[in-house]
Amino acid sequence: MHYRRWVVRRLWLGILVIWGAATTSFVALQLLPGNPALVIAGGGNNYPSEATLRAVERTYGFDKSIVTQYLTFLGRLLRGDFGDSYQLHQPVGSILSSQAAASAELAAGGAIIGALVGVAVALATAGRPRAAGAARCLELLAVSTPGFWIGLVLLSLFSFDLHLFPVIGNDGVSSLVLPWITLALPVAGSTSLVMREEMEQALVQPFALTVRARGVSESRLRSRHLLKHTAPPVLTLSSWIVGQLFGGVVVIEQVFARDGLGQTLVAAVEGRDLPVVTGVVVFVAVVFVLVNFVVDGLYLAVDPRLRRQPA
Amino acid sequence: MQLSASQRSAHHGREAPRTGTRGRVSIAAAVIVGSLALSACGSSQSGSQQASATTQAPQSGGALTYAVDKTQLTLDPAVSAQSVTALIDRNIFDSLVVQTGPSSFGPWLATRWTTSPDGKTYTFHLRRGVTFHDGTPFTAAAVKASLDHVVDPKTASQYAASLLPTYEGSKVIAPDQVQIRLSAPFRPLLQALSTAYLGIQSPKALALPVGKYAPVGTGPFKYGSWVNKKNVTLNRAASYASAPSNAKHTGAAYLDRLNFQLISEDQTRYGALTSNQVQGIAAVPPSDVASLKSSSSAQVLSVPQPGNSYSLYFQVKSGPLADVRVRKALSAAIDVKTLIKTVYFGQFPAATNPLGPTTAYHDASAGQELQGFDLATAKRLLDEAGWTTVNSSGYRTKDGKQLTVEWPTLAVNESASDNTLGQGIVANAKAAGIDLRRPSLDVGAYIDAVKKTKYSVIDAGGGRADPDILRFLYGAKQTFLTGGGNTSLVASPQLDGWLNDGLVSSEPTKLAADYSAAQKYILSNAFQLPLHDNVSIAGFSKTVKGVASDVSGYPLFYSAWLDD
Repeated sequence: MHYRRWVVRRLWLGILVIWGAATTSFVALQLLPGNPALVIAGGGNNYPSEATLRAVERTYGFDKSIVTQYLTFLGRLLRGDFGDSYQLHQPVGSILSSQAAASAELAAGGAIIGALVGVAVALATAGRPRAAGAARCLELLAVSTPGFWIGLVLLSLFSFDLHLFPVIGNDGVSSLVLPWITLALPVAGSTSLVMREEMEQALVQPFALTVRARGVSESRLRSRHLLKHTAPPVLTLSSWIVGQLFGGVVVIEQVFARDGLGQTLVAAVEGRDLPVVTGVVVFVAVVFVLVNFVVDGLYLAVDPRLRRQPA
Repeated sequence: MQLSASQRSAHHGREAPRTGTRGRVSIAAAVIVGSLALSACGSSQSGSQQASATTQAPQSGGALTYAVDKTQLTLDPAVSAQSVTALIDRNIFDSLVVQTGPSSFGPWLATRWTTSPDGKTYTFHLRRGVTFHDGTPFTAAAVKASLDHVVDPKTASQYAASLLPTYEGSKVIAPDQVQIRLSAPFRPLLQALSTAYLGIQSPKALALPVGKYAPVGTGPFKYGSWVNKKNVTLNRAASYASAPSNAKHTGAAYLDRLNFQLISEDQTRYGALTSNQVQGIAAVPPSDVASLKSSSSAQVLSVPQPGNSYSLYFQVKSGPLADVRVRKALSAAIDVKTLIKTVYFGQFPAATNPLGPTTAYHDASAGQELQGFDLATAKRLLDEAGWTTVNSSGYRTKDGKQLTVEWPTLAVNESASDNTLGQGIVANAKAAGIDLRRPSLDVGAYIDAVKKTKYSVIDAGGGRADPDILRFLYGAKQTFLTGGGNTSLVASPQLDGWLNDGLVSSEPTKLAADYSAAQKYILSNAFQLPLHDNVSIAGFSKTVKGVASDVSGYPLFYSAWLDD
């Protein structure tokens, strides 16, 4: 019955991570130089009058002590209330839900395409030195080229010159194709690099010889037997990929003129919009916790050895 | 508003529009008329390719998408200091008066007005039969509600309130007559009232809580929708009949729909125009202006903007720049002409004056007082100021102290070109032995640095379209902490005399003499080093006709139409 204990423990750890992320963003925004009321009221444009400054401080509770502000912040967080954006005067929850969907379809598409391409390339090239060498070159290129540049090249080629895909609008699949490809390339590159490595190790194991001796075809050997062996390291990689994807969408939203969480976060940090910043940070922390929870669960599923002792 | 000026520059100068020297004289003339047709612009630039367009009858219908490079945080013009808010709101809100030239104004929602002899009371007679988009009738009460909303501390106005510094209140005399009372005379009131920031709003809409705010005016387009960080859609107000006196037509706008689409990445925005995915773009990157002009499908609308030129403002109260010789040495070290030409691809004119050439009472002859580029002079001035020794890093020292000058910049305002210019200036200063340091700061840190006077140089430009901007920048009482823009911390009774005169006088010859003296005084004391005049550069597809430009350089879409 350590499954239940395992789940409970992971749950507590998850809550700890989310609390840590929220607290860190709260502290980080406090540590930034300058008075947040000035940023909100003046926007750097001018120095507000005393009356305006006091009004802003009262509205957002900046006149209270840091401890009171922190406790208020935590109390709201517990109730799932992120408050209203200082800049947009809308509930953070509705800002997040409207922006998260756009980012999610972008990230999910990029991840799925990237994973499929990565797996296919690894399957096709593992244990074939010449093909593997060529693939490795392309993979390293895909992993190390800035998404910013890939995006602009794709845009000028397929949107500005060939008019195949639109640049504006978050509407429909056609506006997602180029951002997806941009996001998928590094995912595909890293997935296939790691998988091929694992497959090549598995290919020389005795069990591969045994399977071959049973007369199983090469392609069946790869897809049926080897793929399973590559699962643990790819799972490990996947939580890293989630982080990469979130970083990627910030840049891609900018290049492809899309809205989404990335641009929301950038604008919120610039404008000291604490509710929005913590909203995005907590949201991302929750996604991370969930992904890691699922990944750890999958470890247990794919690797029988881990099931013998409590994780 | 140094800051403000700086920000505004960002907004005015950088954000939407930026740049271009082309056909300055003819364009300036067109701007004075207040409605610059793209076609006029095209013909002044490259012959008569557009000449026939002007005779064509405008067609109604269609949607125009204009890609902007920045997004607004609010559409309430009373709150925002962003030029993109003004750009959008100009289509939604009418103003009491329209600015028709550097110092001339025409009727708009006000048909006529009178000023009391003491300059403290303005009486406006209002147009009758105008209604807001929500059906509320436009009356004196709406004017009062709009202006009271601007100065209400709860509004937390970032800019509009600074346009009404001595506003005491408004009085409804009759439904079509309103009196604005000031605690002290304020000559630029009409200019202030002509901006979109003081556009007249529906009192009914203003009564809603701030979270439910929607812009409701009497303008040619009504607010449709706003998808945050994506687009704002406006729809034609079919019954519009309150066009400003200098508009090219009367009645409803030609376009059915007007979309403002956010495309913040320069190259993406440019590509969207050249591939015809949008019909217009703000802030054409200077490097792309030439290729856009030579394109067969696009045209460039490049309009000089009045206000303060983009400049370095020197802090004269403390630090190394308290010595006028060091200020002049720094000016002499910087090859402004070459830097501006190279960095902005010839699209911005190098400035020699605190005020842009299309600002009222700009005095071109003041430029003679400016310490121009001359490295030998820079070195001689540093010697005279006692910075005689040079350390191993190549910087001048005095009593063992290195000549270090702090120039904090505001990261959000900086375009790539500004950054390149900044690096060029730092390199120029180094050649003369001046260690110019240029940290890039976020808004909070920047405000903090300015508040605590931890700077010797601040860059700013592109403030309002009135020479009174000089009082804002140099008035002894206009320090940053009081909401002013005097980051130079200049406190000169002489300068204050001219600038305060400019604030209250209504005598043009007196104003010209005062502002001319002020411009010369600022340059001869090296309070600032002008870098470039501001120019708004927008790009449009050639199918777009009739776009005008207001005095501040913003495109106006009221008379725009699509020629399919």
